[in-house]
Amino acid sequence: MTEKTTLPATTAPATGGGPAAPRGTRGRSGRRAAPSWAASRLGANLLTYAFLLTGAVLMLGPFGFSVLTAIKTPQQFNTSWPLTLPDPVTGENFTTLFSDEYSFIVPIAVTVQVVAVLVLGQMVSSILAAYAFAQLDFPGRDPLFWVYVSTLMIPVVVTIIPLYSMMTSLGLKNTFAGLVVPFMFGSPYAIFLLRENFRSTPADVLDAATIDGAGVLRRLWQVMVPMNKPIITTLLLITVVSQWNNFMWPLIIAPAEEWNVITVATAALQTQYAGNWTLVMAATTIALAPLVILFLVFQKQITSSLGVTGVR
Amino acid sequence: MNARARHEARAAYAMLTPSLIGVGLFLLVPVLGVLVLSFLSWDLISTPHWAGVANYVHIFTSGHFLNSMWVTIAFTVMTIPTAIAGGLLLALAINRKLPGTSWLRVLYVLPWVSAPLALGVVWKWLLDPSYGAVNALLGRRVEWLTDPQLALPSVVFVQVWSTVGYISLFFLAGLQQIPTSVYEAATLDGAGRVRTLWSMTLPLLRPTMFFVTVTSVISSFQVFDSIYAMTRGGPGFRTDVIASRIYDEAFVNLRLGRAAAMAVVLFVVLVLVTLVQQRYFSRRITYDMS
Repeated sequence: MTEKTTLPATTAPATGGGPAAPRGTRGRSGRRAAPSWAASRLGANLLTYAFLLTGAVLMLGPFGFSVLTAIKTPQQFNTSWPLTLPDPVTGENFTTLFSDEYSFIVPIAVTVQVVAVLVLGQMVSSILAAYAFAQLDFPGRDPLFWVYVSTLMIPVVVTIIPLYSMMTSLGLKNTFAGLVVPFMFGSPYAIFLLRENFRSTPADVLDAATIDGAGVLRRLWQVMVPMNKPIITTLLLITVVSQWNNFMWPLIIAPAEEWNVITVATAALQTQYAGNWTLVMAATTIALAPLVILFLVFQKQITSSLGVTGVR
Repeated sequence: MNARARHEARAAYAMLTPSLIGVGLFLLVPVLGVLVLSFLSWDLISTPHWAGVANYVHIFTSGHFLNSMWVTIAFTVMTIPTAIAGGLLLALAINRKLPGTSWLRVLYVLPWVSAPLALGVVWKWLLDPSYGAVNALLGRRVEWLTDPQLALPSVVFVQVWSTVGYISLFFLAGLQQIPTSVYEAATLDGAGRVRTLWSMTLPLLRPTMFFVTVTSVISSFQVFDSIYAMTRGGPGFRTDVIASRIYDEAFVNLRLGRAAAMAVVLFVVLVLVTLVQQRYFSRRITYDMS
């Protein structure tokens, strides 16, 4: 029984799973159609399970293998088949990574600070701008918003050379400011999404707050932000993800070791200690694990961004 | 303008100040800057001087940039149809809503939240000829990332692997928006499974297809991190995508003018791609709806 059978098994879930009601329409006798339909459906289901599980193994495999390698001794890695389970399990690679020689604690600290500042800066600037565009009236509002939206088309690779020369001429190469300043003042993407949501906030709620005598800022923080908590949470998480994973800008503006973020440090480690795979996999585990955990905890909020960004 | 309106406008401008710095100083000024730089000759150390169109002439006549254009196009052409087909299949499979499968989609999206650089490093090990897991499983030695014939297909595979789950989520959202009445009608008309998929489901997914294609092409033209980790553009420039070329030209060879000219060309290409795709798809969609 393979997918070649043409009985409409795929349509069954969509019709609400009512048992075999329209199956007689293909002119077969009811007595024979029922078991063959059931068998075909079973076959299709097994095929679907096999496909989805193969997919899951392919997706998880690389993550699993890298962690398994990270907790192996270099001796075992060098002498046995790459896929044998770690024996003994060791934290040796991680201790080496955090020792004075590699001091991997520095990139972690730098990354955490960079992400914190960028997320805070972007969220505050974007919320303020989105509120102004959504709820306030001022000359030039629509053309200005159009300019903001059109900057969504600008790729980072295009702006990175002038940004580099700006930051270098200000003496900000290999500084914390160099890492964060160009990207901390809001993102057009976040402003766009927030504005859409702020606009659909019922006007009478805000009017009530106005009559109460709340100023613009109080209306924003006490009414708008709490009412749009889901989208703000989603954006916050997405910003954390994209900033933690950021590589090109930090690579260019902060190549000095004391300002390496985690991605840059991992790349440097791989170049410098090529072949020392247990150590390198310990580094990638550190780079990947926090976000994998964050994603597993908040996967609903993170994937729900697709609903708002993507297809209507 | 009365006092209240003036007050509101002042508040609005105040609230816009941070983002005006961000958009103006760090997005619009750099776009102008890259345009100006593309007409200069500058090595970061000596004073820049005017070069006219020399940078553009050079990048279109010397081999490396044209090679990068071709590599990027080949990379995109190989990656996107594969990732879209895979994503669609995954979405169709998940959408059958078999018990115990809904949580699987979380796994498929894991690569999307992971740093492309770190994933590139992981794949560099997995594909390592002597110590890698892939060759260990195959039981033979294949130079995935160092063989000139295999390097590009290998990085394409990694890109498909990391984007397919993310793409499937869009298709899943699209599938779930198709009203069940459509399927009921198709079943009553006696349409088989394959017919229904071809003549009902796929046409109805066209807006999703458009969105996914446009965003994938745009991000595929900018791919950098994973290539940096896996091949650095090698062997022999076989995987030297545009972003790698711009990076090398600007920050390794210190020819900022030339790199800026490449960036300008890339920007123009991306804007054109967006416009062309928009026109093409909007025409197709209106035909079907009429």
